[in-house]
Amino acid sequence: MSARAAVLIFPGTNSEDETLRMLRAVGIDADLVHWSRGETLPQYDAYVLPGGFAYEDRIRAGAIPAHDRMMDHVIAGAERGKLVLGICNGAQILLEAGLVPGTGAVRRPTAAFTRNAQRHFVSKHVEIRLAVDPQRSPFTAHMQPGAIIPAWASHGEGRLAASDAHLREIVEGAHLAFTYEGGAPNGAALDCAALLNRAGNVLAIMPHPERDGWNFNHPARAEGDDPLAPSGGSTFFRGFAAALSV
Amino acid sequence: MNLRPDEIARIRATLGREPSTVELHAFDAQWSEHCSYKSSRRFLKRLPTEGADVVVGVGQDAGIIHLGTHEGERYGIVIAHESHNHPSQVVPFEGAATGVGGIVRDVLCMGAEVIGLADALRFGDTSDPHRLQAAIAEGVVEGVAAYGNAIGVPNIAGDRYDDPGFDDNCLVNVVAMGIVKESEIIHSRAPRGSAGWDIVLVGKATDPSGFGGASFSSVALDADDAEANKGAVQVPDPFLKNVLMRASYRVFAYLREHGITAGFKDLGAGGIMGCSAEICSAGGYGAIIDLDDVNVAVEGMPPEVIAVGETQERLIWVLPPHVTADVLRIYNEEFTLPQIARHACAVVIGCVSNDKRYVLRHGSEIVMDVDIDFLTGTIHDELPYALRDALRAPQGDTDALRAPQGDTDALRAPQRRASRSAHWQRYDTSVRGCTVLPRDAAEAGVLAPIAGSRLGVALAVAGDPSIADAYQAGRHAVEEAARKVRSVGARPIALTDCLNFGDPTNPQHLGQLVEAIDGLADAARELGLPFVSGNVSLYNASASGEAIPPSPIVACVGVIDDIAAVRYER
Repeated sequence: MSARAAVLIFPGTNSEDETLRMLRAVGIDADLVHWSRGETLPQYDAYVLPGGFAYEDRIRAGAIPAHDRMMDHVIAGAERGKLVLGICNGAQILLEAGLVPGTGAVRRPTAAFTRNAQRHFVSKHVEIRLAVDPQRSPFTAHMQPGAIIPAWASHGEGRLAASDAHLREIVEGAHLAFTYEGGAPNGAALDCAALLNRAGNVLAIMPHPERDGWNFNHPARAEGDDPLAPSGGSTFFRGFAAALSV
Repeated sequence: MNLRPDEIARIRATLGREPSTVELHAFDAQWSEHCSYKSSRRFLKRLPTEGADVVVGVGQDAGIIHLGTHEGERYGIVIAHESHNHPSQVVPFEGAATGVGGIVRDVLCMGAEVIGLADALRFGDTSDPHRLQAAIAEGVVEGVAAYGNAIGVPNIAGDRYDDPGFDDNCLVNVVAMGIVKESEIIHSRAPRGSAGWDIVLVGKATDPSGFGGASFSSVALDADDAEANKGAVQVPDPFLKNVLMRASYRVFAYLREHGITAGFKDLGAGGIMGCSAEICSAGGYGAIIDLDDVNVAVEGMPPEVIAVGETQERLIWVLPPHVTADVLRIYNEEFTLPQIARHACAVVIGCVSNDKRYVLRHGSEIVMDVDIDFLTGTIHDELPYALRDALRAPQGDTDALRAPQGDTDALRAPQRRASRSAHWQRYDTSVRGCTVLPRDAAEAGVLAPIAGSRLGVALAVAGDPSIADAYQAGRHAVEEAARKVRSVGARPIALTDCLNFGDPTNPQHLGQLVEAIDGLADAARELGLPFVSGNVSLYNASASGEAIPPSPIVACVGVIDDIAAVRYER
């Protein structure tokens, strides 16, 4: 039986459908798993936490869902080496759960994706650059060094903040997976767009590559491109697909 | 309460007795301009509403226009357009957010998936030294953003003008768009043979917020009433709405699987009373509602508040009793509504009756018992109006709209609006992953709403407040909205309108509304475009009696057979 991924839906998640569509488009066998069905999570081989406003971003984005019972299964799976991907709100949840950068204890976050420098939501098409050795993680193993991925930054709380010492630790431990090209749209430290854990099996990415998954939603598409052909955002997910098909 | 003495006399004569307090509040809501269109209805008939592609025309919560066929399935675009002007002037964030919330429910209740939003905003002079206008603008933009972003619907089109004429009345017009298979449309009426079926209330617990809202939006704002008016504004809960939408999508799938025809309707003005009365009378039935069965946020509310209050995030289903338990289970257990918001749930509150009476019970009493068609039927106010005939000569150049495609630069009107990217950037324009042209990339937004299909849908809004002549403003709004849709390579297929005007009891103000409707109608006929949905917002006049600039605001939907043909400046 091939490996299967669960796309988790917390109350307030809003990007589950396009995330599922993208995963399936790159060949991943994936299901939506709703918060009232969390007990089914252990049977899955990988977890994807999509964007949204889980539990209404109360206290801080990601803070409440990090303590949801569904996350018990995700944390246990991550510790056993299952692949875990968090996008936008999903990234915030992984950080609040302490899974990235993963240098502290579980559910004791050591950094934050906090309010944007503008103090409001920012919706902007961006490009992000791979900032680690591709072989550092199954998620990036298919990429060229310095690969560029198009994505939509769409968040109110995406600015990485941490102590200077911890930021050094993030860089030196190769936790800084992707950086924004041309500067962060939200004032993030290190121009951070994505963080990896130490083992490389947990990736938290703030912008949404799945929203630039087909040529029709890529702003720089050329005349004559097939609008329904995959675009740069979909390439982001191919390492994930390859790892699950082994 | 704004019922006039002659209206109360008519109620008394028809009932043959003194109306109860609940009945007075019910008629106050149903006969408000907001619900009844009593002073505008006779003119709205002039708008063209027919067309071969119209699937559901004006009269329901939203209109539906045929988009195209994909894999043998016919798809319709659901569109609704509404104002939330008065609430936004009083409490900008909440007023604007609940405006988005309300229009989204209008689209949802047609059985559709909500796929896009647009907003047309008119503010006062935002450079005013007191910063009041800037604060209103800030609150409104944040409200639109907070609600649309949280429910996960991209905002893809809109405009904004700042003009001192809106100092006392900002305009917040919102448009929501959905997609539905035409074979799966749900109507806002009790289906044939539904006598005895359950009436199920879904959503937020009823609270005292929004009591008197329909009536409040049907008079001119008065600074002396500012504090009282705040109580008439509803409280938004986009977090609950996010869950309600997804739970309702699940219910749609359940009903499809079981081959059930049900009725579904949004609670707006007039609350539980207005919604349950309209959904049942539309099917030719009556209703019996037990107010004691309503899930309430606080105990001890008077029956008129439970019946007529406009608490947000609520909808009503009319369901055959054998499926009710399953639908309640989806909302209450699978989607855990009671854990999402305090006392939120789905609950049976009454049943459809076949005697055309509208009956409300509270405690051991019957607090309302009236003929349902008298309550929901059309009423008219034949108010006098003054036209300025000298200005009526048509001047619009609609021939240009028929120019061959590829000539769009020549068609594009000069843009008066300044760049507002700091404003638009607060709107999530890419969520759902279907965005072809995001907000502000071009004159219209474009979505590819069906996965795997090359069909595209374009949306644009228009309305220029600098055009002082109402007739020309109406013409221009239609022509400009259609031109914007064409500029991205789409073929306009339908229009919606929101008519924002002054006090209809002032003949000059009402005359402007009439002239604007004529302008809209003439331009739409020339372009062969039907209006499929619309809204009227009157009493946008200051305490000194000054009306806002004539503001007919039009949204245009366009179809693109192949999204490869979408044009924009790269």
